Amino acid sequence: MESRYARQERFPGIGSQGQQRLQQKHVLILGAGALGSANAEMLVRAGVGTLSIIDRDVVEWSNLHRQQLYTEQDAENHTPKALAAKERLQRLNNDTVVKAYVLDAKADNLEKLIRDVDVIIDGSDNFEIRFIINDLCQKYSLPWIFGAFAGSFGMTYTFLPEKSPCLHCLLPVLPSGGMSCETSGIISPAVQMTASYQTAEAMKLLTGRNEEVRESLLLFDVWKAQHQLIKTAGVKKTNCPSCGTERTYPYLVEEQHTKLDVLCGRNTVQIRPAEPRSYNFKALADTLRTHGEVRQNNHVLTCAFPDCKLSVFQDGRVLIHGTQEIEKAKNLYYRYLAN
Amino acid sequence: MIKVLFFARLQDETGKESIEVDKTNITVDDLKQHLEEEYNLSSLSHTMVAVNENYADGSTTLKEGDTLALIPPVSGG
Repeated sequence: MESRYARQERFPGIGSQGQQRLQQKHVLILGAGALGSANAEMLVRAGVGTLSIIDRDVVEWSNLHRQQLYTEQDAENHTPKALAAKERLQRLNNDTVVKAYVLDAKADNLEKLIRDVDVIIDGSDNFEIRFIINDLCQKYSLPWIFGAFAGSFGMTYTFLPEKSPCLHCLLPVLPSGGMSCETSGIISPAVQMTASYQTAEAMKLLTGRNEEVRESLLLFDVWKAQHQLIKTAGVKKTNCPSCGTERTYPYLVEEQHTKLDVLCGRNTVQIRPAEPRSYNFKALADTLRTHGEVRQNNHVLTCAFPDCKLSVFQDGRVLIHGTQEIEKAKNLYYRYLAN
Repeated sequence: MIKVLFFARLQDETGKESIEVDKTNITVDDLKQHLEEEYNLSSLSHTMVAVNENYADGSTTLKEGDTLALIPPVSGG
């Protein structure tokens, strides 16, 4: 009988030595949405040694058409994505150590989780966190693989510290109002293609074939079958605040206030308290029960109001589903949860 | 003439994948502004650009026969 990885080892780019290396390596995937799911499944099946996966969110029905690790049961139970992902991944390959983190990734908590990581894969859905990843990867000299999509269009780039330009060199200003799945929708082939290129790059890095890493920004439209490679020679800036000679890592400086975000593709506002806090779910359930149906598990409590739904997490984060209006979300938060 | 390639939302906004613009010796930023007005586009200020398949910035001067790609960053993941 052929061994589990025989066909993968037969591929000249990997080989038996590459496979052995892969099995010693640690990948961190930030975000367990569509890209996170697809990258995680490929890497775990490929036999990566350790996979850390971080996500702040719970599984919802509107995720299921593109987020391949999750089931209808996960959506029904509002299972945190990181935990649902770990359970599925562990059944795909029990030899990989899968570490799941249900948390809102920020500079300080990420900094603790990347210490023994070899590669970071971007499965996030906003540029704010990507600029934080970028600064951390410059600071700790780690490669990271950017991926993003909207509609049928995707893009990916592999950032190598000290070698390639960093995200801050490519984008001097943090983009706002970028095309998201909120406005353009998303089809899963665009997810799969973006993730496939990311995983292929990760495999090169994890098996020690750094010289084969693609040096261009790759753009594609999977519906139109168009591909474009953009060369980035000469783009690295010596005065870049993230990777230049006088670095300040501007995105690692913490913002100290309650933060509100409108989440991608979700008709949802997230509120993060300035300091981590924990709720007494039992007391909260008693309060909220008079306003709507309350459900809870150990990680999250939800309350369905007539026109929107609250999800309250143990770390104090709150998602308000069914609105994109920050003011409305804030009112609900301060009315029921701030005290 | 300068050839302009549109990506992602810009294809939807213009209804085109590419156009030719009768300009030369113009900076990328000036051409962006011209296109914003001409095609009534949402802001191109954060749009990434490539000239002849090389990543470039807004101060690059475009010459006769150059191809400019306008690539709005997408964020979904």
